[in-house]
Amino acid sequence: MKQPIYIKSACAISPQHSFNKEEFGKPWTSADTNLLQAIQPDHSQYISPVAIRRMSKLLKMGISSGMQCVKEAGINEIHGIITGTGQGSTLDMEQFLKDMIRLNEEALNPTYFIQSTNNSVNGWLAMLTKCTAYNQTYVHRGLSFDLALFDAMLMLNETTATKYLLVGGFDNMTDEYYIIKDKIGYWKKDRINSLELLLHNRSAGTIAGEGSAFVTVTNNPEDTMCALHSIELLPDADAAETALTINNILQANNLSPDDIDTIVCGMNGDKDNQLFFDTILADYPNATIAAYKHLCGEYDTASAFGTWVTATIIKNNHVPEELIVKRNVQKKIQNALYCNRTLLNQTTIMLLSNNQ
Amino acid sequence: MEDLKSTLKQQIIDSLNLQGMKPEDIDDNAPLFGEGLGLDSIDSLELMVLMERNYGIKIEDARDGRKVLESVQSMAEYIQANRKL
Repeated sequence: MKQPIYIKSACAISPQHSFNKEEFGKPWTSADTNLLQAIQPDHSQYISPVAIRRMSKLLKMGISSGMQCVKEAGINEIHGIITGTGQGSTLDMEQFLKDMIRLNEEALNPTYFIQSTNNSVNGWLAMLTKCTAYNQTYVHRGLSFDLALFDAMLMLNETTATKYLLVGGFDNMTDEYYIIKDKIGYWKKDRINSLELLLHNRSAGTIAGEGSAFVTVTNNPEDTMCALHSIELLPDADAAETALTINNILQANNLSPDDIDTIVCGMNGDKDNQLFFDTILADYPNATIAAYKHLCGEYDTASAFGTWVTATIIKNNHVPEELIVKRNVQKKIQNALYCNRTLLNQTTIMLLSNNQ
Repeated sequence: MEDLKSTLKQQIIDSLNLQGMKPEDIDDNAPLFGEGLGLDSIDSLELMVLMERNYGIKIEDARDGRKVLESVQSMAEYIQANRKL
């Protein structure tokens, strides 16, 4: 059986005031355009003026959130950088492709090409942290971040020496990408207020979002936010298969459904997604149910933001009202389930606990 | 020549996204790399693309590129002598 790993620090750049804040930041931001855009921090605190001038938004978000996460962990050395991104820097890729057409494939700017590669954030983080150890970027659509975290768990289980790994997920939403996804029915047809997303769960589609979130994970439980006991990835499971997987996770950790006091869900307002969660959550009538995608929108690595939300909730022992789908009375958040599901039915289950 | 240098400086600023910088801030003879503007190897590629796109000049030999991209003055002189656009 895998040993738990521990989240030492967490940092998120999102459409909410989440950066550099221990609690969820007020005021809550919303959009009526079916597209939530990330609030940008002062990136110049993390990136030199010479380097920052040619960086795209995604690169800046990834570097700033990764570096801030390492800073908050208060560690001198990291032993690996593992990230996930569904699309990489689409902004650079789109610009490069547009230039190819406009300039008839001649005299193309190298910067857009260099930065459009999916591992450019990892490369920068490695240089800035001087980390020459394991460096990996997973690109598996809605499971990209989750695979990175899974890889980190396996790595930390292979050693008894104290190790720290930087794990993150990042994606940005461009106008072009939004339009393409709109054409295949990803987004809701009606314009809705993002904070009311979950009230519109009888229609198809969701709202778009973007962001970058990182955690440092370790096998040393001292001074950490929470413990991560298990992570399971289901590429295309239905509700029954998912429920069975959750039961197996609980049994492996000597827990019953009644021991779960909080469930953080990746509900995205889509009618089929809601039906899935209604089925899953029926087994947990006593748990407090929280959701987060009305705060960040749907994107391939929204799960990284969801992990930041879950770790922050456990650390603060408090679920903010704006996240509550159903509140149950509880003294302390002890065992939390995390369940994300994308529009492609990719599902991630995590079991986390308060280890303080 | 002065007009060319002024245009070239603005093109360098735009191409390399040198935020907050104006053409008059760039000395004609200051080195573009290292101590002067502090540009790096990716910038040198961008400058070569700039010359090809705006003046039809392709620098095939890296040794030539090193001399041509020394300063705004050297770039302007090379452009004036070799421009096709």
